Amino acid sequence: MSGIRSSIAAIALAWVSALAFAQGSAGDPLAVGRQMLAEDNPGELWIDKGKQLFYAKRGPNSVSLEQCDFGMGPGKLEGAAAQLPRHFPDTGKVQDLESRLLTCMVRLQGFKREDLIKRAISPGGSSGSDVEALALYITSRSNGMKVNVSLSHQQEYDTYKAGEYLFFRRSGQTDFGCVQCHGEANKRIRLQDLIHMTDKKGAQEVASTWPAYRGAHYVVRTMQWRLADCFWQMRLPDMAYGSDLSVALTMYLNTQGNGAVIKVPGFKR
Amino acid sequence: MRKAWLTWTMLGASALISVGCATYPDQATTRQIAEKMVSEGFTASPEHAKRLVQDKSQQICSKIGGAELTQAEADEVLKLARASIKYPASGKLVGDWKAGDKLAHDGAGDRISRGRLEKRKENGGLCQNCHALAAGEINVGNVGPSLTGFGAQRGNSEAIVKYTYDKIYNAWHSVPCSNMPRLGATGHLTPEQVAHMVAYLLAPQSPINRK
Repeated sequence: MSGIRSSIAAIALAWVSALAFAQGSAGDPLAVGRQMLAEDNPGELWIDKGKQLFYAKRGPNSVSLEQCDFGMGPGKLEGAAAQLPRHFPDTGKVQDLESRLLTCMVRLQGFKREDLIKRAISPGGSSGSDVEALALYITSRSNGMKVNVSLSHQQEYDTYKAGEYLFFRRSGQTDFGCVQCHGEANKRIRLQDLIHMTDKKGAQEVASTWPAYRGAHYVVRTMQWRLADCFWQMRLPDMAYGSDLSVALTMYLNTQGNGAVIKVPGFKR
Repeated sequence: MRKAWLTWTMLGASALISVGCATYPDQATTRQIAEKMVSEGFTASPEHAKRLVQDKSQQICSKIGGAELTQAEADEVLKLARASIKYPASGKLVGDWKAGDKLAHDGAGDRISRGRLEKRKENGGLCQNCHALAAGEINVGNVGPSLTGFGAQRGNSEAIVKYTYDKIYNAWHSVPCSNMPRLGATGHLTPEQVAHMVAYLLAPQSPINRK
């Protein structure tokens, strides 16, 4: 733990000096700092934690997650995350990595779904949640592989189209849909770069970099967190963790992002 | 032999047909599926859940893939926008530029976290998130156009004052379905707050108009 702390301190220092250095450069003043951080990503530390959690006998049933099927067969993790979301016959639902993980933690290990959801997104500066570490470990087993979400089951087509609809759906007191911030290249909210998600390259960045280490929070964040945080800024209510809505948006973005090479943990500001 | 070939071909064809059944749903079906996801996709009190319901203009302005509005749709959004605009009880559309400056740089207010509403004395104006403001400010967004020198370029005639007020209160009164929130019309800001931001944009002493 003190290892994490000191690396965080070192990174914070690097961040400040990179910022001071980068102020003068035009265009993307934070690029230098971002680059420095990406090269020494503290999120790596969560991979091992996730691996231990995956193979440990846990929960009321005291079993590991080795029988969990992420779409390639029980316990087969190699390349599994690259093909998510997909339809699972045993739940009758299209599921992303995190909603599938919940299914296994409930069905195999006997955890209570509500408890898992309550803790899924960890407080900033904490050591992170089990779900965050597990999601990172499982996705890391697709590192170097291409995102390859395919539509074949009718529910996959439905979910993809619903995700597209939701991406453009405006509501609330800001009148925002996703596209208001993510529909054009080279845009920023304040100094924060916005990914151009209606562009293939942008969607590929989304599909291949989550879970990611979030510098400002000192923890690994997942795609579910990313979506929920956007809805918060949009002034909408709390997104339900693992909801069909969240899966649909992920389905839309990941399908657009097919072909990207997965490299997690990503690094975000 | 020939018969076997025929049987296999027919089997293959029927398999193809049954696989081919899965395809993109039509627009109405997509809408139905997605709207159900919205109604089930958030944990919200009945009061907060109202934010998820689209008004007529939002429905029109949610075109998939940025498809163009028909003339009739654009006209309807404009009509609804014009009808939505309310002015301060005082009748004064130009408030205090210093209050407007503060509001323009305030991005907080009314967010919901774990069921709790972010309670503040007033909501921020959110301008800085998307617009360049006073010259030299670095921490500004670029989703919207730069507002640096807004008043210096336009003056502060009665027509400009009204245009600016209406634009902030309901941006869709001039450009239907633009990316800008209808800050007054959706209730995010009060008419008085909008008037302060008009002053911030137009007052010659305002930092936004200083060289």
